[in-house]
Amino acid sequence: MQTSMILDWPWQVLVNKYTLSKRQVVNELSTFYSFLLGFLIALIIGSVILIIQDKSPGDTFSLMFKLSIGSVNSLSSSLNKATPLILAGLGIAIINTVKLWNIGAEGQIFMGAIAVNLIYINLQLSNSTSFILILLFSSFLGGAFCILIPAVTKVLFGVNEIITTLLTNYIVLGLTIYLVNGPWKDPDSLNFPAAAYVGKEVYLPNIFGKLSYGFLICILFTAFAHYLKNNSVFGYEMRIAGGSEMTAIYAGINAKQKAFFAMLIGGGFAGLAGGVELLSQTHRVSTGISQGFGYTAIIVAAITGMRPIGIFLVGSLFGALSIGGSVIQTIGVSTYIADIIQASTLFGALIIQFFFNYQLKRVDDG
Amino acid sequence: MNKFLETKNITKTFGKLKALDDVNFNLYRGKIHGLLGENGAGKSSLMNVLSGIYQPEKGAIYLDGQRRKISSPDIASQLGIGMVHQEFRLVESFSIKDNLTLSKSNIFKGDFLKSFKKYSEIFALNANENEIISNLSVGEKQKIEIMKLIFNDSNIMLLDEPTAVLTPQETSQLKISLITLAEEDMKTIVLITHKLKEIKEFTEIVSVMKNGKMVAKDLPTNDVTDNQLIELMMGTVKKSTINKNNEIGQTKLKVENINFFESVSNIKKLEEINFQIKAGEILGLAGVSGNGQVELANIISGIEKIFEGKIIINNNDVSKKGVRSRKKLNLSYIPENRLGVGLAPGVSVIDNSIVRDYFFTKLGPHLSKSRTSNYLQSLIKQFSIKAPNPKAEISTLSGGNMQKLLMGRELVGNPDVIIASQPTRGLDVNAVNAIHNLLIDQRNKGSAIFLISEDLDELFKLSHRLLVIFEGKIVKSFNTADANINDIGLAMAGVSE
Repeated sequence: MQTSMILDWPWQVLVNKYTLSKRQVVNELSTFYSFLLGFLIALIIGSVILIIQDKSPGDTFSLMFKLSIGSVNSLSSSLNKATPLILAGLGIAIINTVKLWNIGAEGQIFMGAIAVNLIYINLQLSNSTSFILILLFSSFLGGAFCILIPAVTKVLFGVNEIITTLLTNYIVLGLTIYLVNGPWKDPDSLNFPAAAYVGKEVYLPNIFGKLSYGFLICILFTAFAHYLKNNSVFGYEMRIAGGSEMTAIYAGINAKQKAFFAMLIGGGFAGLAGGVELLSQTHRVSTGISQGFGYTAIIVAAITGMRPIGIFLVGSLFGALSIGGSVIQTIGVSTYIADIIQASTLFGALIIQFFFNYQLKRVDDG
Repeated sequence: MNKFLETKNITKTFGKLKALDDVNFNLYRGKIHGLLGENGAGKSSLMNVLSGIYQPEKGAIYLDGQRRKISSPDIASQLGIGMVHQEFRLVESFSIKDNLTLSKSNIFKGDFLKSFKKYSEIFALNANENEIISNLSVGEKQKIEIMKLIFNDSNIMLLDEPTAVLTPQETSQLKISLITLAEEDMKTIVLITHKLKEIKEFTEIVSVMKNGKMVAKDLPTNDVTDNQLIELMMGTVKKSTINKNNEIGQTKLKVENINFFESVSNIKKLEEINFQIKAGEILGLAGVSGNGQVELANIISGIEKIFEGKIIINNNDVSKKGVRSRKKLNLSYIPENRLGVGLAPGVSVIDNSIVRDYFFTKLGPHLSKSRTSNYLQSLIKQFSIKAPNPKAEISTLSGGNMQKLLMGRELVGNPDVIIASQPTRGLDVNAVNAIHNLLIDQRNKGSAIFLISEDLDELFKLSHRLLVIFEGKIVKSFNTADANINDIGLAMAGVSE
């Protein structure tokens, strides 16, 4: 018929010549390789931006390297920085086992810190170890409480959790601003809106140097999340519920219940991140408790394909990048170079992962 | 006779699988062509190439002697090639008229009402053109799908198993309609099927595919025998006669006065269902899909909890109990929806293999990796499943292997009661035989089996007794030995004498 109507646009020529097909077998380490290549791509992108700004990428990256992991002290700072990222990332990964997305880690981090301060104000214990443990536990509950409404609405009415968890971030941020400007405002902080510092008796001590016990908590919870996801009955039931709610019901698994508890536990992890950050770093509630940890944690979790051990490693690297990024200001480079590298790593890794999952094949005309 | 459409050396691969291997295929104007083959033989792949959905890696397509490149469904449609898929592709919320005239390249410009009236007569369709698609029955939707091709000005109509969803009576009607279209409108029609009877009744020319290859083409249907076609399709003909004089034991499953209303619409889905199955007995439930079979299976297995009536397994009233307590009484359920209900998509082979047994074998909150992997390996051995990588996602297995995994998982515990819902749907002949043998073995071991199927051959082959369900009621019951296919077909279509 009217072949002339069929225009060969450039993309169509490509589409005609190549075809994408899903690979049957995907390398088990593909996520790891995609991360490495993604990180390489990110470094290249970062270098280009640095060159445009007339800075030497070599000097900048070596300085970042030196000041983030070059000494025991800087390494400790990096790992301390990584701790909330990793904990929140683990929470996201646990929730993703039932194929749900937690965009609300940021709010849960704040809620964890708020819970710590609330209990701290209303409870005074002489034994500082048990007090610290109780405060950490309350931060976990705070995070779980924060995701309660998204969890209930998801399970009962099927409300999209991406929207509700995102919205709770703004609610909790508003609550924080209210608290630090109102009831909890520390008169000694002058005009800076912040709550009063907690007492030194509840500071999380350091293991050695500057490395906080928070990092040890982080290691323990990484192991716990790994076990929960991969080796426990609960993890198995979450996987089935995430794969297909109908299969879960068929198997006698209460899919909604699994989703509910997965959300609470995941929220608790992020809350714990806030508690650890307060007790080990900031020591008081303010809007600076989290510097976007809850959002960066989504990147970390996504890059690693929601694997707890991967989250631990990539989280540590991202912590180091943040520390490195904050120090290169001294040579006149914007700290945002670290953010650019983090975000480009995700993009790069996702694109590479795509080619692990699919292959491009030339169509042979024969 | 001139070739209207010709394909030369079409090759299409998916991963390592050669779906189409050097396929040559011819179509002649105004004829009804049969394309016969087992599941997975490549019939649908070939049709998808002709309709522009798949791009072959090799090969050429000639239409009226001119070489054409069909790089998208839109281009296929411009060239006058249209396809009806097994799953309907209608816009459910649109009217019949909107669906029929919906097209990118060939928008219908003639007198719609006149044409609609003409083709409604040809298809024996009694519906107003403004009727919304979702109000139509499956058979009516099928008619609209085929009419859509006509309104899209398709001269080549590719029909992928159009009779799968039809009752015997609707199938006869379709035959009359297609013959009219071929004779009066000179439409070129391809009927994909794996039912010999339809090839014989519908088509003039038949081609046979096997394992991605065209093993015979352009055979005049009248000149070939059933045995010849079967041999081409399957290589060898296996005849199996099942001995039905096995030992029958105690009653294992009693279903008493089941009434069920769908919760949202409050429509009565099941009415006064009563039957019993004894150990060693296979009770078949015949019926066209959607007459309450899924609901009944869900009620017996415990998935659906709100209903009237009683379910008694091994003399235990489990009407108020859940899925697990019924599993503990050794009930197994092989659901109709293999991937989505029986198996969880996106989850690994090994995780899917323990869906039934994980809560029997777990150690507290711990799930032992070695135990689960031993369990899977024993299933693979016992039921000869091809699943090389336990961590691979379940949908990387073929349909037959998925079903074997599902059946194996449900049968390995030697269940007292088995509900098998459409256990062989969409499987090739070898897989079907394997599944049938599993069910017969299990019957001989003393399971009471409730076999829900649309495939009358299967029901006749396996069951001792047959029930026919129509609109939620058991309308007929037969002893298989005394039953005849016509009576059952009529009962399935709701015709009562």
